[in-house]
Amino acid sequence: MSLFRLATKNIEGSSFRSGVVFLCALVVAGLSLSTVLVIRGAQDSLRLALERLGADIIVVPEGEASRVETALLMGKPTQTWMPQENLSKIASISGVAAASPQLFLASLSNASCCSASELFMVAFDPKTDFAIEPWLRQRLGHELRLGESVGGNLVFVPEGEENIKLYGYIISLKGNLEPTGMGLDQTLFLTFDTARDIARISKTRAVKPLEIPDNKISAVMVKMQPGADAHKAALDIMQTVPNVTPIESPQLFQAYRKQITGLLRGMMAVLGITLVLSLVMISLIFSMAANERRREIGVLRALGATRVAILQSLLSEAAMLALGGSAVGIALAVMTVGLFRNLIVRSLEMPFLFPSLPALLTLIGGGLIVAMVSVTLAALLPAYRVSRQDPAVAMRE
Amino acid sequence: MIALRDVTKTYMVSKEIAVTAVRDVNLTVDKSEFLVITGRSGSGKTTLLNLAAGLVKPTSGAVSLGEVNIWGLSDKEQSLLRNSKIGFVFQFPSLLPSLTVIENVALPRSFGTNHRNQDPYERATQLLTLVGLSDKVSAYPRQLSAGQQQRVVIARALVNEPEVILADEPTSNLDEQTEREIMDLFHDIHAKTGVTIVLVTHTSQLVAYGTRAIQMANGVIQ
Repeated sequence: MSLFRLATKNIEGSSFRSGVVFLCALVVAGLSLSTVLVIRGAQDSLRLALERLGADIIVVPEGEASRVETALLMGKPTQTWMPQENLSKIASISGVAAASPQLFLASLSNASCCSASELFMVAFDPKTDFAIEPWLRQRLGHELRLGESVGGNLVFVPEGEENIKLYGYIISLKGNLEPTGMGLDQTLFLTFDTARDIARISKTRAVKPLEIPDNKISAVMVKMQPGADAHKAALDIMQTVPNVTPIESPQLFQAYRKQITGLLRGMMAVLGITLVLSLVMISLIFSMAANERRREIGVLRALGATRVAILQSLLSEAAMLALGGSAVGIALAVMTVGLFRNLIVRSLEMPFLFPSLPALLTLIGGGLIVAMVSVTLAALLPAYRVSRQDPAVAMRE
Repeated sequence: MIALRDVTKTYMVSKEIAVTAVRDVNLTVDKSEFLVITGRSGSGKTTLLNLAAGLVKPTSGAVSLGEVNIWGLSDKEQSLLRNSKIGFVFQFPSLLPSLTVIENVALPRSFGTNHRNQDPYERATQLLTLVGLSDKVSAYPRQLSAGQQQRVVIARALVNEPEVILADEPTSNLDEQTEREIMDLFHDIHAKTGVTIVLVTHTSQLVAYGTRAIQMANGVIQ
């Protein structure tokens, strides 16, 4: 009979005590992993979105920064305009390597002329674009032509159809970008020419025409020269170009970053309290169990079990319960976060990107180790005390 | 076989109060002897047995098993010594409730190194046959009577082929008939195997089973 088997038998023989420790490990591991998944999912999503935007500065009309951020983050369409002449002013600022305009558009809500309702559309200028075009050349092998588009990860052609219909205009979806967990996943990217063609066609085929004001743009994406000071350029833009707000890349989604930080603190506090309470409870349970089993442990010592063997047996018991409990807790956490990710995004109003399989496996492994180490440490002191006890004294209890 | 030289054991009941359970005891138990130690409750006989087993450290004096001074050994060496050379039979129910009868009997084999290549369950089955419980191998202790449990404990004490069996009041919780059966079993085992037995009891009638008897009172051998 191995010590492992003895520990297994003890677990089977004390179902209530084992059940409570199992449950504590389940709660600790499950809560830890859900917290990490949600927070990391939000952080990864923001990071990927910033990489996708590829701009060091985004210039938007004054007072519209919040709406533009919400559009990019949550896919909530917005339409905002500023003079096209701003583009040349921005491009001439010292340190700016490239400046590219974008148009923010939206499809109609529940209209027969649009197969996708309230779809956020971003039109870009292929001549100056530095964010979408490189990806297109790499994945499609060519630029977007008239009537073509590329969608975020969650943009699909409606079932039973071959193309997307917008304002009565048939547009071909040539591919989908990698997921970001943000509004960009629900955004359709198209060229200026296609956007203007949609506006032209919509006058005769749509319930309501697509309006693109002459000589107006929605935003300017700015890429800095290597080594150039983006902050200084942002200040220069504010001084040189009237009625605009430059948002530096590190400052983008600042409100959401604060929200994530706040949420992180809240969840960490709950997690910390749960962890401490669970570990105290596990420690108490093992103290009680060790006291109940003093005579039994005294007998084992008399039969030839060393102090180390007793300690190993008790800690194996704790580790096995921790492993079982945390495995179930982790499985539940992954299932819950995976199944209810849309609910989480809506209720927390935060972007969310489910981790890749290797990242998920690493998190699961980390969660198992944390739970096993925590529970084993909680059991260590009572196990150590009882293993050091004089066998004759233990048997007399 | 077992030798206690000028052994005293004093327990501190509180910071000020000390109780001497065994005082200046000198005792030698020879190989194949069946020694019965009698005495009233509190006379120090159980402490003497625990001292002989190395389960209690003497306040003064020396305890040796064979040629080995027990308290000159590390915890691991002491444990191995107990495991390989001593079989225990306790007064209280000492079977592990979560293990079956055969697992309880085989248990001491898992702590030692001497019989690593042998099947512990084969030996346990033989011993359960010896104590008349071959039909109870898969039972749990709670399914056995007190007398049957004590038979299993005796089988467990023999599993590592020890040189000495230390039995502390092994029949105190049993009725007269069962007490007689258990003592007959000790007698048979002693006769068949020649194992040294030291048995502590408060029942003076049991001295008839031993090859030698001593009496203790107030921590001293009379």
